[in-house]
Amino acid sequence: MTAELEPANEAAAAGAHVTTAAERRHRPLPKLADPAAPLLEVEDLKTHFRLESGTVRAVDGVSFRLDAGEALGIAGESGCGKTTTALSLIRLLPANARIVAGSVKLYGIDLVPKNDNALRRYRWREISIVFQGAMNALNPVHRLHDQIAEPLMERLSVSEKEARKRAGDLLELVGIPRKRGSAYPHELSGGMRQRAMIAMALACDPAIVIGDEPTTALDVMVQAQILELLEDLRHKLGLSLILITHDLSVIAETCDRVLIMYAGRVAEEGPVHEVFRRPRHPYTQKLLSAFPNIHADRRTLDVIPGMPPDLRHPPPGCRFAPRCAFAMAVCTEVVPPETRFDDVRVACHLYGPESDGTPVTVAPADAIGPSQALVGAPLDVPPIEVLEG
Amino acid sequence: MGSAYLVRRLASAAITILLIVLINFLLFRAMPGSPERIILRGVPNVTLERLEATRERWGLNEPLFPDQFVSFLQATASGDLGFSFVARGQTVGEVLAQRIWPTLILFGLGELVAIVVGLALGAYSGWRRGGPIDFVGNGVSLILYSAPYFLLGMILLLIFATNLGWFPTFGMLTAGATYSSPVDRLVDFLSHLALPLATVALGLIGQYAIVMRSSIIETSSDDYVTTARGMGLKDSRVLRHHALPNAMLPTVTLVAINLGYVVAGAITVEVVFNWPGLGTLTVEALTARDYPVLQGVFLLLSVSVVLANLAADMVYGVLDPRVRT
Amino acid sequence: MTVSELPIVRRTGSGRAMRLGGLVRQLLRRPDGFAGLCILVFFGVIALVPDLLVGPLQTPVTGLENGYPRLAPPSFQFPLGTDELRRDMLNLTVHGARVSMVIGLLATVITVVIGVIVGVVSGFIGGRTDGVLMRITDFFLVIPTFVLAIILTSIIRDMIGSASREILGIRMTLIVIIIVIGITSWASTARIIRSQTLSLKERAFVDRARVIGAGGGHIMNRHILPNVVNLIVANAVLVFAGAVLTETTLSFIGLGDPLQPSWGQILESSREIGAPSLGAWWYFVPPGACIVLVVFAFTLLGSALDEMLNPRRRARQ
Repeated sequence: MTAELEPANEAAAAGAHVTTAAERRHRPLPKLADPAAPLLEVEDLKTHFRLESGTVRAVDGVSFRLDAGEALGIAGESGCGKTTTALSLIRLLPANARIVAGSVKLYGIDLVPKNDNALRRYRWREISIVFQGAMNALNPVHRLHDQIAEPLMERLSVSEKEARKRAGDLLELVGIPRKRGSAYPHELSGGMRQRAMIAMALACDPAIVIGDEPTTALDVMVQAQILELLEDLRHKLGLSLILITHDLSVIAETCDRVLIMYAGRVAEEGPVHEVFRRPRHPYTQKLLSAFPNIHADRRTLDVIPGMPPDLRHPPPGCRFAPRCAFAMAVCTEVVPPETRFDDVRVACHLYGPESDGTPVTVAPADAIGPSQALVGAPLDVPPIEVLEG
Repeated sequence: MGSAYLVRRLASAAITILLIVLINFLLFRAMPGSPERIILRGVPNVTLERLEATRERWGLNEPLFPDQFVSFLQATASGDLGFSFVARGQTVGEVLAQRIWPTLILFGLGELVAIVVGLALGAYSGWRRGGPIDFVGNGVSLILYSAPYFLLGMILLLIFATNLGWFPTFGMLTAGATYSSPVDRLVDFLSHLALPLATVALGLIGQYAIVMRSSIIETSSDDYVTTARGMGLKDSRVLRHHALPNAMLPTVTLVAINLGYVVAGAITVEVVFNWPGLGTLTVEALTARDYPVLQGVFLLLSVSVVLANLAADMVYGVLDPRVRT
Repeated sequence: MTVSELPIVRRTGSGRAMRLGGLVRQLLRRPDGFAGLCILVFFGVIALVPDLLVGPLQTPVTGLENGYPRLAPPSFQFPLGTDELRRDMLNLTVHGARVSMVIGLLATVITVVIGVIVGVVSGFIGGRTDGVLMRITDFFLVIPTFVLAIILTSIIRDMIGSASREILGIRMTLIVIIIVIGITSWASTARIIRSQTLSLKERAFVDRARVIGAGGGHIMNRHILPNVVNLIVANAVLVFAGAVLTETTLSFIGLGDPLQPSWGQILESSREIGAPSLGAWWYFVPPGACIVLVVFAFTLLGSALDEMLNPRRRARQ
């Protein structure tokens, strides 16, 4: 992790003018929108999966906010609920998943109570998604420009000719020659497909683009190109970005803010430079140290002992407590409240009312350490995927 | 379509047909009695010259392989399948020609109805998995799939012909009837066709619905379907434009592969309704041990199925851009 | 593919039995598995002890001697009515269970043995052997094997003559049917087993066995077969459903044995006298319903097992 974690967005770094959602748009806000409201505000979101063996609390009380033009990274081990959180925004969930509580407010409009047909209007026009591994996310039997043009024709009633033309423009925007639009997905390289997927996501000029591990399946060189493209487009088009990844370096390079999730809850959230420079939550500290530290020329990886908890029966207090070296008696019983230090939120008992927000890096005297008895049953996921990234 | 793909498929079909002829040849030689007697059993007044000519024609004076097989292959290729034991003096080709049309009409129409209805039912069931239509549709499909076709036919016959009297019980036209116009004749034909056609269609619908249902279920968890939903497309469009074209791919192959199996069912339906096609011919030939005709039916049906599979491969090539290149 | 190679499959018997206990428990927890097993047990019992349930198989003579009515509809005395030879249909249907299921079972054994041998050998040896074997397999997969079965059955019967011999209490005519079904329906089993063998071959333990110096036969016996047992069980259940249907159809077009009537043979007799046109539904509906139930149960079981055991489908859930 580099020491110079400069905020990627220069405008944001200048700290000057933050564009409002209304200023950026070329078309009117949706009906009922509140121009003064933040672009996206998620509060206490809970999404549960119903399985035969019980209810999986995949997302269990997540709150965050995304302002116009901002890039938010969501990080955590796989299975921690980051993808489910993002898909819950436009309710793109499997049949056995339900949003059981909370609100998702886009321009102040709560999307959670809307029925499927009403919600459909917000998909792609306001929030679009770039999926992981575009080979599977692109339809193998349709040509690229048809896939890009489809939402334009179906959602915005653009004529076929116009939609084709715009599809070509979009392809050029993401660095694919216009004439390649007649190709089928299998005829393109992985990087090209990911670019096409991005072009598709931009088709309806959405306010928010969600990138769900957009670079995971690609090799390092192509990864860098795709990230650069996203970065470039964000500034050019004034997009807001939600980037889901287990690769913290991707977030460090592209995002303004970062949200660290653990077992369906927010562990820590704040500006990237602040969180990465002074991680407060023991989980964030562990995650960061799990990466090779280039500056200290350290090649060893810190491994977080234990496994994420079984989300059908999460531990009663802090969900990280069973694996936390700093865990105290209270951690196993009481759910830690979120505490604010300037712009950073952290949910950890180490930062109680008397804390001034200085990161705790030494185990407190009353720490009980990781209790093996409390380590949850293994989930069906590789435990610490950050190591593979 | 890539020419390599085309050539590969054509070669494969050719080899299969060659194997079919080989089997026919081996069966022919396995039959009790000398080959020339078998060939000429259906011919009245065989002279010694005729016998010798036949031995010559079929290469029976030569060794079994390759000469006799080559002769057999040549004869088969030129449409010479020998003489029927039963229909004296008639060649197998002539016998088959009389019986092929009724089967083609019955089976072709039944297949058409079943593909449309079965695939639609299966697609809808799979898309609304766990819903009421799925529950009923899948149950009915499984039962239809488990029932022998002829049993369905017997039950339809009992209900709609015997009890309700809506349709005639057997044949293709009313025996001894005279028609005042071609329209009358057509009406009579259609009323005879209705029940066998319904039977063939019902039997196939179960199978096609099951295949399509599982294919749609597999497809609907694919990422591009999620993408299409994410685009805010209407549910029906996601199904028709994204899930279906992909779910069709394995279905086309499976439907084609199952054709050979399905043919067996169709044969028995004809027997129930006395439909004068290849099915009743098969049973007649079986009863009379008319082997040349049986072999002719086998050859005809096998080659048809192979050609249908070839056609399915071509359709697959059109549907799936990935095999085109 | 001869008798001498049979022990290969038998050797996995104990492993299969152990796994089966767990499988049955798992099956009972699923509605489709439960329903399938119930129907299976019901007909299994009937097939095992038909004489205890309805007495010995009736013949035209019994009907005449007892003065039963001809083609009588169901009544208190004859719950399923009688046929044109004055036989009790309940008696015939119950005895038909044994004939149909024994033929189905034996044909399944032959089918699975051939299919497994072809599949394992093809997948394991690979190369040209694999090419040739799969060519033949595809051939049997595509052609209308039913028509071939018709010809084979009648030719074989002509060759062995009108033998009234019996093997294990099964008449020669039916033995021929069993063998013919077996040698015409193994192709899909071979396909499935081959692809499983291919993926097993790649796994580490096979490599380890090869490094130790085990021969091909040893690896097949010890490492590959035990691991395809699950798949064989699931497939055998589906094959059985198909075999019962094929036997029924062959009997229906006149290749059954009236002296050992299976359900298909009963249906053939009923068609012969035109039962549907006479409205004599009791003649063909009960045996027909039995066939549908048995095939339905085995299809349910087979697909339930497939879902439970097939690694690819399991991963999807």
